[in-house]
Amino acid sequence: MEKEKFFMNTNNNGSGYNCNSDQLQQPCFLNLNWESSIDQTSTAHFESALSSLVSSPAASAATTGAPPTDNVVIRELIGRLGSICNSGEVSPQSYIGGNRSTNTSCYSTPLNSPPKLNLSMNPMNAHHVGTPLDPGFAERAARFSCFGGRSYEGLSGQFRLPEAELPFRANPPKLVETGKLSRVSSSQSLMGASQSGPETPLTASEGPNEANVRKRKAAPKGKSKEPPKDLNVVEEEDLSAKRSRSAEANGNAKDAIKLKVEQNNGGSSPGDNAKKQQNKEIQKPPEPPKDYIHVRARRGQATDSHSLAERVRREKISERMKFLQDLVPGCNKVTGKAVMLDEIINYVQSLQRQVEFLSMKLATVNPRLDFNMESLLAKDILQSCGSLPHNGFPLENSASTFTFAQSAQQGNALQSMVNSGLETQCSLNPSDNHTIRRSLSMQLPGMDGLCDAASQLGSFWEDDLQSVVQMGFGQNGESFPGSLPTTQMQIKL
Amino acid sequence: MTTENPNFNKPIFANRFLRALSRIRRNRPNNNSNPSSLRRRSKKIKMAAYASMASAAAGSNKAWTRALIRRLRNRRRPRSGLHHRVVVRETEPVGRVDELRRLVPGGRGMDFDTLLDETAHYVQCLSSQVALMQSIADSIIMD
Repeated sequence: MEKEKFFMNTNNNGSGYNCNSDQLQQPCFLNLNWESSIDQTSTAHFESALSSLVSSPAASAATTGAPPTDNVVIRELIGRLGSICNSGEVSPQSYIGGNRSTNTSCYSTPLNSPPKLNLSMNPMNAHHVGTPLDPGFAERAARFSCFGGRSYEGLSGQFRLPEAELPFRANPPKLVETGKLSRVSSSQSLMGASQSGPETPLTASEGPNEANVRKRKAAPKGKSKEPPKDLNVVEEEDLSAKRSRSAEANGNAKDAIKLKVEQNNGGSSPGDNAKKQQNKEIQKPPEPPKDYIHVRARRGQATDSHSLAERVRREKISERMKFLQDLVPGCNKVTGKAVMLDEIINYVQSLQRQVEFLSMKLATVNPRLDFNMESLLAKDILQSCGSLPHNGFPLENSASTFTFAQSAQQGNALQSMVNSGLETQCSLNPSDNHTIRRSLSMQLPGMDGLCDAASQLGSFWEDDLQSVVQMGFGQNGESFPGSLPTTQMQIKL
Repeated sequence: MTTENPNFNKPIFANRFLRALSRIRRNRPNNNSNPSSLRRRSKKIKMAAYASMASAAAGSNKAWTRALIRRLRNRRRPRSGLHHRVVVRETEPVGRVDELRRLVPGGRGMDFDTLLDETAHYVQCLSSQVALMQSIADSIIMD
C-alpha cells in the first residue's frame, strides 16, 4: 500500500516537486514508515510494521511527530539514489505497458509487495533517523539503488521522478485513482528484485531478497487476515501469485516482465483470457479488448478460447430450449433435447396446419362476407376479446369501459371503437371523438356493468386495439375507403 | 392461449389480413362452388395470412420474417407454364434439426442457437396468428 502511494504521483504529475503543501498536510504516512524502520531492522518486522501501517494510518499519525524537514532530507537522498538508479537498464516499452493499460494482469499482489518495499526503504529511513554517517549506509544505499534500478527496469528513465515524489505519496484522493498503477509498478519492481542481484552491488543483501521471495510465496495465504482494502487486491491474488511463481521458476526477471507486458497489452495467450475474464467486472479502468463475452471458467474447466466459445454456445442453446419449453404446450414434461425437438416440430407443424385449415375455412366463408362484414367484425371481435361477461351487449360494455378509461390511448382506441361499432356513421375524424365520447357517456348513464368493465379493463385492453383496427378496416374496406388514413392513424396510437 | 408477444403487432396483422380478405373476396365474387377456385382462394388467404404475420412481426428484426416475405414475394410472381416443376432439394432433411430448419422460414443457414431463437419467436407469432384467424373465422361463421 505504501508503494502505491509511493508511485502514485509518478503517473499523475510528471514533476511533483511542488507538492510540498500536500506533504506537509499529511506527513503521517511518511513518519510512520520511518519510525517502524528505525525500530526494527529485520525484514519480518518490517512486514508487520507495514501491515500495521496499512491497517491503521490513524494510529500511526498519532505516534509520529517527525518534522517536515525530514522530507527534504529524504528528497535529496532520493535524488542521489535516483542518479544511481539511472545506470540501471531501462526498457521504455514496459513502462508504457506497465502504466494504465496494464492494470489488469500486472496486479501481482500489492499486499505482497510491501515487505519488499519496506526492505528497500530501510536504508533510507535509517539514514534519515539518526545515523547519517552509518557505515552500513553505503551498502544500504546500494541495496536501495538495486531496488530502484530493478523496480524501474521495466519503467522508463522517468523513474527518478516517482522516487523524488516519495514524500507526496500520502495524497489521498490521488491514491484512490492511481492505486492500480502503483501496484503495477510495484509488481514490476518485485519481479525484477528476484533476479537482478548480480548486476547490482547487492551481494550482501541477497539474503533479504530471497526472504522476500519466500514471503511473496507465502503472502497470499496470510493475506486473507488483513482487511481487504480493495476488492481488486483480493480477487487478483492468485493471478499475481501465479505470475510471481512463474517468474521465480524462470529465474529470469526479464522474461517475467516481458510476459507481463504481453499479458497486459493484449492478453494474447488464450489461457490468459479466462483469468482476465474472471477479473473483468472488477476492472473499471480502460481495457483494450472489451468485445469478448463474460465467461466464467470454473475450476477444472478448459480455458482456451474454443472451449469457452463452445460453452457459451451450449449455454445459449439450453437457455433457448428452456424458453421454447415454456412456449410449446406439452413440452414441459419431456426431458431430453431430442424429444423436445420433436415436440417443437410437431407444434410448429400443427400450427401451420391450423393456419391452412383456417384459411380454407375463411375461403369457404368468404363469399358470405358480402352483406354484413362490418357488423360481424365489430361484434365478433368484441366477443373474441372474450373477457367481457356480457357478450350479448359488447358495445355497451365497451362503452362503459370507455367511460372508465384512464389513459389517453385507451380512450382514443375505445372512442374509435365505439364510433365505428355503435354509431355506424363512421366519422373517424379524431377531432370528433370528444363529442362522441360525451354523447356516449350521456347515453349510458346508469350502466350496470360499469364496475365489472372497469375491473376488466386491463385484460380487455390487450385486444381492443386489434378490434378497433378490425372494425375500422371493416368499414374502410366495405363502404368508406376515404377514412383509411384516420383508421391507420388510430392503429398507431 | 396466446402468449403475449411484444414483437407481434396484432393490429397490423388484423388490418392487413382483413384487407387482403376483402380484396380476395372482391376479386372473385361468386364462384365459391368450384373446388379448384376454392383451393386457390384458400391458398391466397393462407399466403395473405403469412404475409401479414411477417409484416406484423417485422419490427422484431428476426430472420424468419425476412425469409418469409422474400419467399412469398417470389411465390407471388406469376409463373409461366411450369406449374408442376419438380423441385430438387439439395439436402433432404436428415434429422430433427433439419426438419426444424425446414419448418422455420429461412432456417437453413442458421446456427442451431439462432435457429432455436427464431423458432421461439416464430412459434409465438404463429400461435397468435392462429388465434386471430380463429376468432375471425368464428365470428364470420357464427353469424
